[in-house]
Amino acid sequence: MTRLSEAPHGRQLRIVDIQGGEGVRRRLFALGFHKDDLVEVNSQGILRGPLLIKNLTADTSVALGRGIAHRIMVDIVPDEG
Amino acid sequence: MKVDTPTVIFLGQPNSGKSTLFNAIAGHKALTSNFPGTSYKHTHSEVNIEGRLLNVVDLPGTYSLNPSEPAEKVILSHLFQEKPDLIVNVVDASILGRSLELTLELLELGYPMIVALNMVDLAEKKGIHVDPKKLEKLLGVRVVPTVASHGRGLKELLEAAFFCLDNRCPVVSLSWSGDVEEEVGRLAERLPTEIIVAGNARFTAIKLIEANKTFCVGVLAEAKPELKSELDLAKKRIEDKRRAPAYEVIAAERHHLALKLFEESSRVRRGKQLSWDQRVDDVIMHPVLGYLILLLIFLAFFFLIFKIGGPLEGLLLGPLGRLRTLLSGWLGAGLIFHLADGLVQGIGGGAAIVLPYFVPLLFFMAFLEDLGYLARAGFLLDTFMHRIGLHGKSVSPFILGFGCNVPAVLSTRILESPRDRMITSLLIPFIPCSARTTIILALVAFYLGPAWALGFYFFNILLVAAIGRLLSLFFKDPSPGLILEIPSLKAPSLMNMARKTYLELKSFVKFAWPLLVAGSIVLSLLQFLALDKVLNAAFSPLVVHGLGLPQPLGITLVFGFLRKELSLIMMLQALGVEYKNLLTVISREQILVFTVFVSFFIPCLSTFAILWKETGKKIAFLSAGLSIAVAIAASLLVRLIF
Repeated sequence: MTRLSEAPHGRQLRIVDIQGGEGVRRRLFALGFHKDDLVEVNSQGILRGPLLIKNLTADTSVALGRGIAHRIMVDIVPDEG
Repeated sequence: MKVDTPTVIFLGQPNSGKSTLFNAIAGHKALTSNFPGTSYKHTHSEVNIEGRLLNVVDLPGTYSLNPSEPAEKVILSHLFQEKPDLIVNVVDASILGRSLELTLELLELGYPMIVALNMVDLAEKKGIHVDPKKLEKLLGVRVVPTVASHGRGLKELLEAAFFCLDNRCPVVSLSWSGDVEEEVGRLAERLPTEIIVAGNARFTAIKLIEANKTFCVGVLAEAKPELKSELDLAKKRIEDKRRAPAYEVIAAERHHLALKLFEESSRVRRGKQLSWDQRVDDVIMHPVLGYLILLLIFLAFFFLIFKIGGPLEGLLLGPLGRLRTLLSGWLGAGLIFHLADGLVQGIGGGAAIVLPYFVPLLFFMAFLEDLGYLARAGFLLDTFMHRIGLHGKSVSPFILGFGCNVPAVLSTRILESPRDRMITSLLIPFIPCSARTTIILALVAFYLGPAWALGFYFFNILLVAAIGRLLSLFFKDPSPGLILEIPSLKAPSLMNMARKTYLELKSFVKFAWPLLVAGSIVLSLLQFLALDKVLNAAFSPLVVHGLGLPQPLGITLVFGFLRKELSLIMMLQALGVEYKNLLTVISREQILVFTVFVSFFIPCLSTFAILWKETGKKIAFLSAGLSIAVAIAASLLVRLIF
């Protein structure tokens, strides 16, 4: 298990836990981020800028600040084959 | 509104194409854009469709009925106030799984509803084939596939809408897992009628369980203490069983149900090939290239407007000058000449000096909005916004501010935190809007060269950053951080961009231009009566001694409060010269100081009014005071340097 903010780019990740305050969690649920979703880190802003996260389950993209990505726990999904 | 006119509400998640669909049906009235939550104004239109009168309402996009932004809160209150006869739920077929979560919530509400399965073309391109009949069966409401941008499926959608209005299509909410459903049912049964929202006990029970403390639970605690403890018990039972907060359990129930519906109604052939928008996105969101492109877009924005506007302006000024000479020949120098001259200056100035820059700017803004670039700029600039105490979500209001500050202030409603809203609203009046861009291009670029105008822009942005930094020292409240959806890139349609430009232009011609003309005529009259000298003398300490400008310019600054362009047009009139001969009466340095002062010295009347309305009297006056202080400081600085 690792933090989304520290996860490798371009690998499939499974959301294990979404921590953080109620407001942030509600917002993430509303945007279609839930436990067990598959996500991928696609890009990042310079100077410790936000992360661009693609949700493979919902097929949507969201920019997340580092602080928020730090509180999302993910597992790296092993590559098939 | 007549009682017998049925109300139809369009509701959907941001970027579902809701406003485009609404436009196609209700006749080009709502503005659309490709940024989450930019249709901040809801639009009412009474429209006659195939001989039937409908009251059609377009609400801002929302992800769910548990609002977290001020813009989303509007939606709930509207839903209950309007008591719609029909909801048209617009769903983005290309992200169906996520979109259906709102659909499920709307089904819980129980109002008659049909689903517009929009962007089916985009979904097909992504390899997603949705079977509308199957989805219809699963949801229990009519599902009509549409492509709003091409007008496909609109006829069928309207037929379905009329059918439901005539026959009151019943809506049945879908059930969740047994244990949660049981708790909801139990609570719903015990709710007294007076607290039931929208005539739906189950919906009320769900909202009581999942809503946060601020929502109606407090009322319940006061009115029915025994029911409050019952609610707490129900929540606790759910939380103990699922080991998660009740709101999360309910969100997860909807999520799983939505995914199940998506899987059962759709076939997905997801190939490995990258589509064009993904490839483009990889470049424009790249940690290095992305910033280069952002800079290039900024430069292109600037040069394009200048390269189109400059020659046009030169072309139009000639005839205007000849007309004025002709007038003075005919009419002499009496009152009639002054009135006619004011009229010509106002109309001609608007046409020759303002429009050449204004129209290309509007078009370019529409392009960036429709493409979906604003959200991407928000992502790229988030780091820099943190330096001034904000985050990337404020970028879109700022960029909109380059068009006009008024919608920019309105769009701060997409910000969750009141603190961010306030700081952003205070900074927006410092963003050079189209009126100020016109002044900068027509004066600084035209007389000092485009490099100077560009420098002016960079100075302006630095100034905004410095003020932001300063403001965030006073309002420390930590900001929760960036959560911003990046919608898929959409190829902007020329039609839509032209329509947007036209709408903005129309409102300029209708509201701003008459002000320009009236201002010019008033100045003409004042000159005729020699009253301008009195006003100019009053302002002379600031204008002449402080800023080192010619005394006649004092009066133009006063009028700049009405419209910024007015200062420019009146400047020529006050100095009594042709645009081409401006440099004979005023130096380049003075042009620079004048532009700096006019750009910053006060938000224009419309911006002031919208600040008052959106953030309150205090902030509006704070903004005005701040602007005056900044304008004086900045122009003195410029005067000292040059």
